[in-house]
Amino acid sequence: MGAFVLRRLGLGLLAMFVALSGSFFFFAAKFLPLSETPILHSYWVWLRGLPSGRSLNDGLLGGHLVATVGAAFGRTMLLLGLTLVIVVVIAIPVGCLAAAMRGTVVDYVLRIGTYIAWAVPVFVVAILLQEGFGRIPGGWGTGWFPSIGWAGECPNGQGIDPHNFQCPAAGHGLTHVGQVIYHLMLPALALALGFIGLNARYLRNSVVDALDAPYVTVARAKGLPERVVVMRHALRNAFVAFVPAIVSDIGVLFGAALVVDVIFQLGGLGTLFIGLLQLNADANTPVDTYELQLMLLFAACVMLTASMIGEILLGLFDPRTRLD
Amino acid sequence: MSGVPHTAAAAELVTERRPVTPTWRRLTRQPVAMTSGFILVAIFVVGALGPHLVSPALVHLTDEWRNHPPTVREWNLFGTDAIGESMLVRTLYGLHTSEITALAATVLATLIGVALGSIAGYRGGWLDVAIMRITDLLGVFPLIIVFLAVYTYFTPVTAWKATLALTIFLWIPVARVVRAEIASTREREFVQAALSLGATDRRIFLRHLLPTASGTIIIAATSLLAQVFVLEATLDFFRLGVSTATQNTLGNLIGEGQANVFALGQGWWSWGFPAGVLLVILVCTNLLGDGIAEAIRPPRQR
Repeated sequence: MGAFVLRRLGLGLLAMFVALSGSFFFFAAKFLPLSETPILHSYWVWLRGLPSGRSLNDGLLGGHLVATVGAAFGRTMLLLGLTLVIVVVIAIPVGCLAAAMRGTVVDYVLRIGTYIAWAVPVFVVAILLQEGFGRIPGGWGTGWFPSIGWAGECPNGQGIDPHNFQCPAAGHGLTHVGQVIYHLMLPALALALGFIGLNARYLRNSVVDALDAPYVTVARAKGLPERVVVMRHALRNAFVAFVPAIVSDIGVLFGAALVVDVIFQLGGLGTLFIGLLQLNADANTPVDTYELQLMLLFAACVMLTASMIGEILLGLFDPRTRLD
Repeated sequence: MSGVPHTAAAAELVTERRPVTPTWRRLTRQPVAMTSGFILVAIFVVGALGPHLVSPALVHLTDEWRNHPPTVREWNLFGTDAIGESMLVRTLYGLHTSEITALAATVLATLIGVALGSIAGYRGGWLDVAIMRITDLLGVFPLIIVFLAVYTYFTPVTAWKATLALTIFLWIPVARVVRAEIASTREREFVQAALSLGATDRRIFLRHLLPTASGTIIIAATSLLAQVFVLEATLDFFRLGVSTATQNTLGNLIGEGQANVFALGQGWWSWGFPAGVLLVILVCTNLLGDGIAEAIRPPRQR
């Protein structure tokens, strides 16, 4: 197991390095200021600065990159964390319910619901929730939640209180935590919906499989109530497939989080990345290649960590899948 | 020789008696999958004909028709946008572009993926190693980031450039799946038997490996189709893909409509209808894909 994980980690890191080099050439050839210098030289300068962290922190156009990109990354990860909580809290009961009542109307309705939830693109869910529940002047929605921005921020002046013309304060201490979660609620729900659909369906099928297993028949024969049979025996064994799957999905979820982040203008990694690219689409403005590279590094680390942990968990839970 | 029937009649008898393949029968017995298949085909036909269905009678750029909610009157079924263009017309054009992009990219990516994947799976060697490493590379970044970066090279993006960009990257997952399938089929007894009988590589591939892998290929292609629709729409939505200035697509119509809800107070219909069409396509593709997967690999009775 250890050797297998190390080998996968090594290959993953190698792939990460090659991909980052590729993206460096890609960006450096396209964007000012590096597009004016010989590309191999600028690659060598970037490479040389990696061990000391100079290429990661000192921006080409000035500024401390780790601070800016790191803050944005933190926001994206917070969104991801809240989303995972919502996914787990909703998907598990839904999946169990559908499995326990399989073949009934409830199962059928839940199945259709989870299908639609998974099929809808995340950006459509996001704008539906934003218009339906966000505070948009002149909108048709309920206005329960802020439609845009992080706690205490009003991008482009949107979300300003019309009474005192100020952006609602983000508060301190627990109030601040509450405000942050309040602002993250719609984005997290939008992000969670598709994955609730996917995971509830997945969990339902593994619980149904488990319910057919001999040990469940034994548990029923012992006279245990159906609730205990499902929760204690079937669900616990269904987790073996479910937990690694949900961890591996974090990579996909991360990509979707960038999309949601842009729509709600949360100032996360997606907003930063698309902002830089759109900046260049409008005019031939210089774009900091080092900053783009650092963002890609963060993204690649999340992808690699998620897939590694997913695989390790799968190997721990289910020894048959070990490949060594 | 009166006992032997005429050869032509015998041939007819044989073709008549040939049973419908069990896979097809299992598929036709799923009402949900069949219905989604019909809806999907209907939408695709409308989309393919899209620009030809539009008549000048649908276009009225007068003040009265600015930002008009959907009405049955004057065929204004999808409402109008802020300058009075019919959203029905724009959605038809958008559907046309999106559909052609997605179908072309899926078909091309599948063809390339099947060709390279099967060679890699059958022959092994450097191509096999190369495809595995390329697969690793594609998994390093989220796909959306990859395409956002690639699209910067294609500005101004048109439908054909988008097709090209999607094809360049999305043959990789197909190749990986096909490679695994071919490599495992290759080791099975009937292939070994054919090999020992001296069958040529071409015969083994066309008669044994490809038919066995066809189910996997179809499943991979349908899931790719849905993925391409989503990716393309998402990129266009962010105005980094095809722009409304060059071509309407479902994605950029949704993006423009949503931006104008904030900026111009445009009604929900300007993005709601393109989004609805996209949604129906995606739900139907997914349902049909799952139906096909279930027909090809029937699960245990549940």
